[in-house]
Amino acid sequence: MRETKQLIYCAILISLALVLSYIERFIPLQMIVGLPGIKLGLANVVTLMALYFLGVKSAFTILGIRCFLGAFFGGGFSGLAFSLTGGILALVVMTLMRQIKLFSVYGVSVLGAAAHNIGQIGVAVVLMESVYVVGYLPYLLIVSIFTGMATGSICAGVFRILAVSGQIPEKS
Amino acid sequence: MKDRKMNLKFGKGDVIAIGIVLALTFLTAAGFHSGVQKQEANTLFIYQDGKLIKEMPLAQDAEFTVEGEYYNRIEIRNQEAGITQSSCPGTDCVHSGWIHEAGRSIVCLPNRVELRVGGESEVDVIVK
Repeated sequence: MRETKQLIYCAILISLALVLSYIERFIPLQMIVGLPGIKLGLANVVTLMALYFLGVKSAFTILGIRCFLGAFFGGGFSGLAFSLTGGILALVVMTLMRQIKLFSVYGVSVLGAAAHNIGQIGVAVVLMESVYVVGYLPYLLIVSIFTGMATGSICAGVFRILAVSGQIPEKS
Repeated sequence: MKDRKMNLKFGKGDVIAIGIVLALTFLTAAGFHSGVQKQEANTLFIYQDGKLIKEMPLAQDAEFTVEGEYYNRIEIRNQEAGITQSSCPGTDCVHSGWIHEAGRSIVCLPNRVELRVGGESEVDVIVK
């Protein structure tokens, strides 16, 4: 019973993540910040939700399947390398940071967003064979504080409702 | 929250988290600027797949199209370089605007093209 429930949750969260990353394309964040490739990172809400409510293993599964399906639906291979590396690095950092009681979901989210950008720039350095791409990193990191806070506040709201409705968070 | 396992309130620790990211920002910015030598900015270097395929003087208005999986139309106008047209998905490179400072670059990831401003006799010591 519990396994079936877990499976259904995973499926729902994967489709939610895919829909969120699609909707995200219509949010004109680039008009405000003027940096190529800037995103709000709404799919990270799903990763955090999976991490807090389904556990680390499910979170990694959801992330992996989400990235592959995302690439299949129009990201392409280079897109996959970026989303997968960024996503895995973010999830590893968020898993570790959640252990530190000092950080709330806001802090975990901000650090995850920063890790995501570091991972993506890392891939860019390898793919472009050029360290000059690192010049983008400071801008991306500054922006990740704001996007991390935004997704963190979405998570705080959603988690509160989930907890009230009887969902029990996984042990960290 | 009653549940001790979940901390959903913004607190002191989160200010520290933001501080960590800010510190990383300044570190990478400082590291990048000390890495880019104070060189003259008179030439546009065009790389594809990490290889230098063309050098163009910034002083002269010019156009150049890079072929590949996609195409990028590169223009030099008023000593600035930019990508004005591209067939790549997303066209982030076109939205990157114009560059003229040494060390600045515009990247088209789908076509693996990089434009970089630098001095005439640039040697790739930093990259290799």
